[in-house]
Amino acid sequence: MRKKTLTLLLGLASLQIGLAQTPFRIAAAADLGPVLPPILVQFEKAKGIHVEATYQASAALTAQIQNGAPFDLFLSADMGYPKRLIDAGLADAAGSPDSSTPIMYAKGTLVLWARKDSKLPPPSIEMLSDPALQRLAIANPERAPYGRAAVAALTNLQRYDALKSRLVTAENISQAAQFVDSGNADAGLISLTSALTPRLAGSGRYFVIPRNLYPPIEQGAVIVSRTTQREAAHQFLDYFLSSAVQAQLEKSGLTPAR
Amino acid sequence: MDWQAFALTLKLATVTTVILLMIAVPLGALLVLGRSRWLALLEALAALPLVLPPTVLGFFLLVLLGMRTAVGRGIAGLLGHPLAFSFEGLVVGSVIYSLPFAVQPIVAGFAAVDSSLVDAARLLGAGWARLVFSLLIPLARRSLLAAAVLGFLHTVGEFGIVLMLGGDIPGATRTLSIVLYNQVENFDYAAANRTAAVLLGLSVAALAAIYVGGRPRGGRRA
Repeated sequence: MRKKTLTLLLGLASLQIGLAQTPFRIAAAADLGPVLPPILVQFEKAKGIHVEATYQASAALTAQIQNGAPFDLFLSADMGYPKRLIDAGLADAAGSPDSSTPIMYAKGTLVLWARKDSKLPPPSIEMLSDPALQRLAIANPERAPYGRAAVAALTNLQRYDALKSRLVTAENISQAAQFVDSGNADAGLISLTSALTPRLAGSGRYFVIPRNLYPPIEQGAVIVSRTTQREAAHQFLDYFLSSAVQAQLEKSGLTPAR
Repeated sequence: MDWQAFALTLKLATVTTVILLMIAVPLGALLVLGRSRWLALLEALAALPLVLPPTVLGFFLLVLLGMRTAVGRGIAGLLGHPLAFSFEGLVVGSVIYSLPFAVQPIVAGFAAVDSSLVDAARLLGAGWARLVFSLLIPLARRSLLAAAVLGFLHTVGEFGIVLMLGGDIPGATRTLSIVLYNQVENFDYAAANRTAAVLLGLSVAALAAIYVGGRPRGGRRA
């Protein structure tokens, strides 16, 4: 009986020690949702550091970090939000050549996506001039980087004014994809990372919007300055920027940073 | 201040409240006056929207009303356009979402009417319509008022469904709560404060006006 109690106590004590170690926390942009989890598993295997990731819109994560959310590293979907944190003295890019500029870790690709069972011909630039295109889903251009890219591409194609009244704005890029996948919008300008997820790859087809039509969707990382795990943050960034992981990013729809 | 969104929000809440009362009064009467055991199931179904998070409810509606379902195609055929991303779509979503807030007070109000009065009216040959309009509604008018107020305010403050089903189209689906959310997300806290102040001021004024009107002279317990 006493032995059992002792074992139980020891068990509880070791559990306690396990809990006391604060986890390494990453705030990650929503478009990394389908990309990052396997990389985190590999990282833990390679370096023995357990990472917990939270996926949300970059704007929401920025507001959370400004208000003291306990994140150690921020992987944004753009350069603007992490830059804002650097300027506010809340984050830094220590260790990189220019510590006041977020570390670019990847570039995003904008695609035009539609369901395979759509009445419209397969996605192409011409689709944007098709009168049968009644609803085009985009992410919110005021804050979602892919939304900004979508508006820039439509403007450069001189289709923005014509399509303006037919745009439906989604909260983020995955909701834009949802609008199309559920059959409520005819097509959407979404991220390649979304289009390559098994679900959307099965139900739809995409067309890569030529890169000269929109400013590059550069995605930046910063270390949250109040972190107590700076060493782990550097280890993760080194790992994330290694050529092996960057090649893996490419398969998921992100262009390597270098 | 986005007055277009303000007007749209009031319009949505008004239309929704009218439809809610048209559904909740007969439903409440059926639940209180009816004798079938199956009514318990109906009552449970009417309370169900409380269980689902609004965004989830909005997602289900988005899928259900989409062009990939027979329901969605049928509605689109009737209206000439899909229900999602339209004002009508928001009305459908709001009615479902706010239904429990209208049904619960009405059921409680109708049930509180003295059953001997109902029996007496029945003995004197009153039909359902007579029972509802001449007896239950006049005696439970405060509950009806509460149902209307709750349904209205719940629709004004609705967010998750509009976010999922609306598509943020100015004049059609961009309500005040979406404007407020956009302002917060864009770090425009000053504008967000103004929008929130209008929303709160409006609600307090509307509530106070209704409660003054519904308050018997000499206090509630006179």
